Amino acid sequence: MVGVSLSRWTMSYFAAALVALLVAEFLMTIGYGFPAAAQAAPETLILVHIVAIGWLSLLMCGALLQFVPVLVVQPLHSDRLALPALGSLIAGLAALIIGFLQLAGHVDRDIPAFALAGVLLGSGFALVVWNLGRTVVAAQTIPLASRFVVAGLACMAATAGLGIIFALVFGGTVTYRPLAVLTGAGLPVHVVAGLGGWLSFTAMGVSYRLLAMFMLAPELEGRTTKGCLYLGVAALVLAIGGGVLTILFDQDPEFVLLAAAAVGLMALMLYGGDVLHLYRARKRRHIELNSRMAALALASLAASVALIIVLLPLGRLTDHIGAVVFLIAFGWLSGLGLAQLYKIVAFLTWLECYGPVLGKAPTPRVQDLVTEARALKWFVLYFLAVWTGTIALLASAALVFQITAAAMLIASGGIVAELVRTRRLADVKAVSRLPLGVQRPRLLLSYHA
Amino acid sequence: MTDTFVDLDVRPTLRAGGEPFQQIMETVTALAPGQGLRLLATFRPVPLFSVLGAKGFSYEAKELDGGDWEVVFRPAQAASTAESASAAPADDTTSWPEPVQQLDNRDLDPPEPMVRILAATEAMQAGDVLCALLCREPVFLLPELAKRGHAWRGDFEPDGKTYRILVRIGAAGRAAA
Repeated sequence: MVGVSLSRWTMSYFAAALVALLVAEFLMTIGYGFPAAAQAAPETLILVHIVAIGWLSLLMCGALLQFVPVLVVQPLHSDRLALPALGSLIAGLAALIIGFLQLAGHVDRDIPAFALAGVLLGSGFALVVWNLGRTVVAAQTIPLASRFVVAGLACMAATAGLGIIFALVFGGTVTYRPLAVLTGAGLPVHVVAGLGGWLSFTAMGVSYRLLAMFMLAPELEGRTTKGCLYLGVAALVLAIGGGVLTILFDQDPEFVLLAAAAVGLMALMLYGGDVLHLYRARKRRHIELNSRMAALALASLAASVALIIVLLPLGRLTDHIGAVVFLIAFGWLSGLGLAQLYKIVAFLTWLECYGPVLGKAPTPRVQDLVTEARALKWFVLYFLAVWTGTIALLASAALVFQITAAAMLIASGGIVAELVRTRRLADVKAVSRLPLGVQRPRLLLSYHA
Repeated sequence: MTDTFVDLDVRPTLRAGGEPFQQIMETVTALAPGQGLRLLATFRPVPLFSVLGAKGFSYEAKELDGGDWEVVFRPAQAASTAESASAAPADDTTSWPEPVQQLDNRDLDPPEPMVRILAATEAMQAGDVLCALLCREPVFLLPELAKRGHAWRGDFEPDGKTYRILVRIGAAGRAAA
């Protein structure tokens, strides 16, 4: 074991993901998709998949390529597989968008877009799962946090599997009845597997380690964390496995999903307790911007759960599912993603540039690569816009929502500009920016020094 | 217990004036449990014997026709290497001198522990040993130590919370010279 090196293509994943975020926010600003269009309209599906695959999944995949090796103390199985996986996912997303445009009648070319999307997205996600899976299998220790990630990857496979079935049925490639039935009723399972299993459960696992690491808090491996893992996995198995089986037997999956939600709620409560403990037990009193902003993302998660708990007994959850999904995707997942990106990009850039000369020449600190005071306003604007946007959706105020989407776009643009400045070492004092032997990093990929 | 050997010929690298140490260590790292290494070199790589010895390998060296050497490294205790590749066998620490410097980096914000260890190693003499306490396995430090030619041994203390690393200055570099 000689430690872990920089993942070469992680920055490329991050860049592609951020472009997708800006595109999605632009589309929301001009009123494309929900709420101006129906929740199941092709325009909304395009928007949702730009967010779920283009932004959140690429962000998560890029982060995991670097983070899974750190978690399990094992070099990444293959650095090379990361690039074809990225290409395949981007091309697959493009094909999926074309497929939805065909559904909407905006593209009348006769190309098998859905089938292509199925193949490309399937191979892209499979390459990522294979690469990370082999890394975990080769590892000698599997800490608790990485078990969340493994469960998350299994949910990613389930989400992609269901999505591919939907795409093949939509595209007319497959007419097998059970798959058509699944396509008709399986959307909630697809959403739960993707947002809840793949993105949220993985983010929870990663956050356990990142929060402990950046706040100097004790690693949690105790009963509450194990309970969160087991209950979470039980909820996901129930929702995905149970949901699919119920649908295949021509039953309404609502009851199974409710049962899964109850178990999932217990897991989330344990997670909430653990996270509060991490913030309280930290040794580092003054925490950095990423940990402070992560708290706002965690608050958004709590707010999403509270919203579900309030809407469900009122029978209004279906009416307001758009607002709930929006808050989960942008408040919790995107908020946490942007906050941690701010630290991770700085750290990886610092390690790439200055690691080789540490101790040999004066080098800047990681915090010298960023200007937190300047970035803070973008993060505050971002979260305020997301929360206002959620209220606008609940109140069906489409115009207000578009204005908040514009604010999100501006805030995200500001954060992206900060990330580019970090990557370019623009905030490092000129005297210490490039000591002898240090090369300026490339924007989109990392050297193996 | 040794089932198979991985062959590594560093003679082309050496003849081209190159530095095969990292290549050798990467190959050793990639060995499966129970696997050995068959190394071909242009000289008898004496220093490597102690470096790989510290990793639990025994060796047999024989001179080939033409003055080149073939060295076979066997995992002496296949079980101990399989159990923890990052942990040097406990009885092995006696062969290193007492640390000349101690660092307690457990309460430092990352990546300050790595910065301080690398800064300390730059100020030390070849052969000196540094001891540092950390609160997690320093995954990004280890490749940097290897690149700088330092040997290291590290493992968690029995409490499972403190990671203790010993760094011997230039020990790996001399092995490759």
